[in-house]
Amino acid sequence: MNVVVCVKQIPDPAQPGQLDPGSKTLKREGKLILDDSDAYGVEMALLLAEKAGGGEVTLVSMAPNGETSGLRTALAMGAAKAILVSDDSLAGTDALGTAKVLAAAIKRAEPDLIVAATESTDGYTGTLPVQVAEILGLPSVTFAKSVDVADGKVKVNRQTEAGYDEVECPLPALITVTAGVVEPRYPSFKGIMAARSKPVEQLTVADLGLSADQVGAAGARQEVVDVTAAEERKAGEVITDEGDAHERVVAFLDQLKLI
Amino acid sequence: MFEWTEEQNMLREAVRKFVETEIAPNINELEHGDTPPYDTLRKMYKTFGMDAMARAGFEARIKREKEGPAATSERRSGGGDAGAGFMLIPIIELCRYCPGMVTAMGVSVGLAASAIMSKGTIAQKERWGVDLLTLDKIGSWAITEPGSGSDAFGSMKSTARRDGDEYVLNGSKTFITNGPYADTIVFICKLDEGNDPKDRKVLTFVLDSGMPGLEQSKPLRKMGLHSSPTGELFLSDVRVGRDRLLGETEEQPSREGAKETFSMERTGVAAMALGIVERCLQESVAYAKDRVQFGHPIGEFQLIQMKLAKMEVARLNIQNLVFRQIEMGAAGKGMSLAEASACKLYAAQACMEVALEAVQLFGGNGYMAEFGVEQLCRDAKVLQIYAGTDEIQISQIARSLLS
Ligand SMILES: Cc1cc2nc3c(=O)[nH]c(=O)nc-3n(C[C@@H](O)[C@H](O)[C@H](O)COP(=O)(O)OP(=O)(O)OC[C@H]3O[C@@H](n4cnc5c(N)ncnc54)[C@H](O)[C@@H]3O)c2cc1C
Ligand SMILES: Cc1cc2nc3c(=O)[nH]c(=O)nc-3n(C[C@H](O)[C@H](O)[C@H](O)COP(=O)(O)OP(=O)(O)OC[C@H]3O[C@@H](n4cnc5c(N)ncnc54)[C@H](O)[C@@H]3O)c2cc1C
Repeated sequence: MNVVVCVKQIPDPAQPGQLDPGSKTLKREGKLILDDSDAYGVEMALLLAEKAGGGEVTLVSMAPNGETSGLRTALAMGAAKAILVSDDSLAGTDALGTAKVLAAAIKRAEPDLIVAATESTDGYTGTLPVQVAEILGLPSVTFAKSVDVADGKVKVNRQTEAGYDEVECPLPALITVTAGVVEPRYPSFKGIMAARSKPVEQLTVADLGLSADQVGAAGARQEVVDVTAAEERKAGEVITDEGDAHERVVAFLDQLKLI
Repeated sequence: MFEWTEEQNMLREAVRKFVETEIAPNINELEHGDTPPYDTLRKMYKTFGMDAMARAGFEARIKREKEGPAATSERRSGGGDAGAGFMLIPIIELCRYCPGMVTAMGVSVGLAASAIMSKGTIAQKERWGVDLLTLDKIGSWAITEPGSGSDAFGSMKSTARRDGDEYVLNGSKTFITNGPYADTIVFICKLDEGNDPKDRKVLTFVLDSGMPGLEQSKPLRKMGLHSSPTGELFLSDVRVGRDRLLGETEEQPSREGAKETFSMERTGVAAMALGIVERCLQESVAYAKDRVQFGHPIGEFQLIQMKLAKMEVARLNIQNLVFRQIEMGAAGKGMSLAEASACKLYAAQACMEVALEAVQLFGGNGYMAEFGVEQLCRDAKVLQIYAGTDEIQISQIARSLLS
């Protein structure tokens, strides 16, 4: 079974992020790392391919400046190869544009299953995977908290507010996995050494048969019109116990309709 | 080499994550509880495939050795590869939180296993070496005695006496890392032929835990390095066959063997120091920005800035020593004992100074266990004592300069 995993390479969330004052989007010039959210997808894909007893895991990513650091991490975990789309004309691409690019790249790998995270750590619109599925004309199942593939079908326990739904759909399909679906493995010494020589195919917009006006700022249907600083958190309320603290805590939570 | 490669950085990040998940949250139990470090170390070996790699490396090496000496020497030279420096990275990362873990691991794999792998027969390597290299078994390397430390050979009292085809071993060893729990013990002693002790041959034997006449003490209480169990060994009339004599010959140059081991343990100290210094510096910078006195973050005071700057200088110097070791390893070259001594002396002293300054920078909090630098400071002190004291390194460097 061939599985494609969408992996986003993002600025290290441990470093303070910076916005580009012109485009009002996140600056992505420095080193990018594998989005932690996607480590779960990579692990899921590796487990499914191992269980199927054959097939490959291919990574697909769109990122500026030919960045491959995050891809190398996922390759070290065990993915076989990667496709990276990197092109100056992609600057300013919105979520739909990104979906068009990724869909075109994914098609080349002819996967039985596509795995993405529910939402990325930096952009977190949570809209990209379903747009990819729509463009490819594939069914999609989101919020998977467990996944199994058998008899040409993918079976998913889909997280809901009340618990989970059991959903089944024919392959090929796209799924999004939640954090914690599986425990991502650490890359081994050997995996890290092997990652260097695994193939990373680098493509441009033209290679994908897309025109420049479908992507980038030109093709974007979204525009960030304004950015404001998040409101500072207000200081919390300290309740000093004078024998009735438990009642006051309950009253406070009640007032917030939390209990 | 002037910076870590992409692969090395990836490994550092992965091991750091492991240490921060598996060790940092359990540091109190590991340092002050009854949990020996071995299961955590084994988990690390398994997680990163270090056990499988050690086994594969061992098998390839034994195969070459069976093919004959030509094959061995030919393949062992050179050896620069993508994995250069990989083995130093777990040392550095573990030392950020737990230098004791590194001592326990280093003595077992670096000293006990290496002694067997460099001087043992093929049968001895297969019998003891491979299990130590994979951490399936834990080893000790025992030279120090109550009456002999720096003067390891001169005052050594432990003896082997011939008795038919066998040897009878007697003596006691102290400060032995992993001593309380070791499965396999490399025991260094002198062959007593009734001659003057200073003329006696030095022999090395390999012992198993539980042999009649061998007693392993409980862990000794000490200043720091609590997650590395240190103990005493007592041997009274332990009978061993020739199969336990390392190399299975009395003509084995055991003094030379032990000196090779000294050189090896000394080079590990720079990597240990780097881990401790990196963490002290990182914690100190964060604290200097955060802690406010006299209306200013203490990082604005010049005396605090001087501490940080000195720590950074030490970090750069030690890192350069580590880079040099990696380069030399990749080029198939080993350090001379005098150079290894110089590196060890500098790294140990600089590390101690940095750790003390970190405690000072943290003020009262520095003296409290909660902030971590207190432990690193106690742990750092051992770097100036074991693997040859500072004074011994100095005399070795001077001897080499003046010879
Ligand atoms: C107006 C606008 C302008 C933008 N301009 C730029 C720009 O100039 N430069 C720039 O780099 N980005 C830019 N972006 C970000 C954009 O390209 C995002 O990558 C895209 O919108 C996906 O959004 P998300 O992270 O919210 O995805 P989500 O829907 O939250 O992501 C869900 C999952 O989809 C997958 N995924 C998402 N993005 C990628 C990707 N790039 N590669 C592989 N898998 C992925 C991952 O598995 C991810 O976890 C812009 C976004 C907007 C809205
Ligand atoms: C935590 C820990 C773990 C250890 N693990 C092991 C182990 O696994 N295996 C093992 O065999 N040993 C081990 N040791 C022992 C260690 O190697 C010795 O403690 C060390 O070599 C010093 O010997 P000593 O303690 O007898 O000190 P001594 O030799 O008695 O030294 C006392 C002082 O005199 C100084 N001195 C000695 N000779 C001279 C000289 N010629 N000129 C100037 N000054 C001199 C020393 O530098 C020191 O300051 C360990 C020690 C510690 C603390």
